Amino acid sequence: MTVIKLTTQAYCKMLLHAAKYPHCAVNGLLVAENQKRKDGQPVLCVDCVPLFHGTLALAPMMEIALTLIDTWCKENKYVIAGYYQANERIKETRPNQFAEKVAARIAENFSEAALIMVDNSKISMSCYDPAISVFEHHDNKWKCRDASIDCCEDWSEAQKIMSALLEDRSYDSLIDFDNHLDDLRNDWTNPEINKSILHLC
Amino acid sequence: MASVSDMYDVTWEEMRDKLRKWREENYRNSEQIVEVGEELIQEHASKLGDDIWIIYEQVMIAALDCSRDDLATTCLHELQKQFQGSHRVKRLAGMRLEALERYDEALKMYNDILQDDSTNTAARKRKIAILKAQGKSTEAIRELNEYLEQFVGDQEAWHELAELYINEHDYAKAAFSLEELMMTNPHNHLYCEQYAEVKYTQGGIENLELSRKYFAQALKLNNRNMRALFGLYMSASHIGASPKASAKVKKDNVKYAAWAASQINRAYQLAGHGTKETKCSLKAVEEMLESMQIMPS
Repeated sequence: MTVIKLTTQAYCKMLLHAAKYPHCAVNGLLVAENQKRKDGQPVLCVDCVPLFHGTLALAPMMEIALTLIDTWCKENKYVIAGYYQANERIKETRPNQFAEKVAARIAENFSEAALIMVDNSKISMSCYDPAISVFEHHDNKWKCRDASIDCCEDWSEAQKIMSALLEDRSYDSLIDFDNHLDDLRNDWTNPEINKSILHLC
Repeated sequence: MASVSDMYDVTWEEMRDKLRKWREENYRNSEQIVEVGEELIQEHASKLGDDIWIIYEQVMIAALDCSRDDLATTCLHELQKQFQGSHRVKRLAGMRLEALERYDEALKMYNDILQDDSTNTAARKRKIAILKAQGKSTEAIRELNEYLEQFVGDQEAWHELAELYINEHDYAKAAFSLEELMMTNPHNHLYCEQYAEVKYTQGGIENLELSRKYFAQALKLNNRNMRALFGLYMSASHIGASPKASAKVKKDNVKYAAWAASQINRAYQLAGHGTKETKCSLKAVEEMLESMQIMPS
């Protein structure tokens, strides 16, 4: 089974989104480079597009986001490769029906799509452990992948940078698709945060 | 650590006014409230007059959000000294226990309040909040429905109920709750728009048509509501392409979708003036709208 890995940028932006709205559920998409992969090569999610916060389980804005980001992906030779969600309650780490539906939709277009649930209880300033669980599609069900498999391309780099970003409260300036719908000038590609991450690398 | 007033070059009056704005508009920017509020309380308490009590309450709740039990306790003690035996303060003490996940003790506080005053809505709502925090959604929904039978005008509660139903994927009941809100707030474009989203999610041609109508209504109430505009575009496009729609309905909806598309493009062009970054969004939107163009069949 193909393994999904995240770059530091993808991992950090995902967690910054969760950190920005601690009292809300959040969700978003992960994108990978659209290229032919050799057998056994992992799918590398290179970026993350934070989508919504608050009430997630409504279809129209999700459809708009999926279509728009799909178009953006095609222009940048990316493909939507995954969906992430952080639930409202700290102890709730399982995907709900909505998450499974969206992930299944993504899987129609990209068969190795992953569903990633953020484990809110593992988010801390020191980032001791990766705060995510990866679910993969097997026989029409989403099953949680073994936690011992490294989810990040370079965990020690991701850990170090995530910690620095949290200290800096970079999440204050993170833009999600909801922010974009509130004001179209808000840029959901988050170029400034991308620059900060690159700078910290 | 630089003070807020130094970092942002603001006076204590501006800080106090900011807190009031956040309070009145019900913002939950707790980290900021704690930062500004703590400094205001520590450095400028004497200047605040009677405002200080409501500020203690606001900062206490924000402190609970930020796990600052030290600050929350300080604020709580000041309020308890000043307003002995107050139910409002007792509810805050309950909230602190909730934050510490001591739910049984919190419940006892709220039940005490209710024994004294059975109409205390704040205590009843906190009990429902505890059910929500414990993941007991079905019970929370049941209690909230009972509460609403008695307090039928409580908008915040109707909205909370709608959201609980949405999270449980019970869209029909969510729609019903939002209908209550729209009846009492016919000019609120946000309720209209959220109702349209729920109808769209329910699916089926009738719900799509309803959804389109309510997206249009939301736009009439606020022509800058991008969600309503996008929603109108999506619902009209789907109806226009649906095999179940009559030829006339399809034709009309293709027109509505085309209108919405042009408005979306215009909105993006207006937004993109000047900045290079938003041009990527504009291009993506243009392409998306082109690729989704429904040809009348």
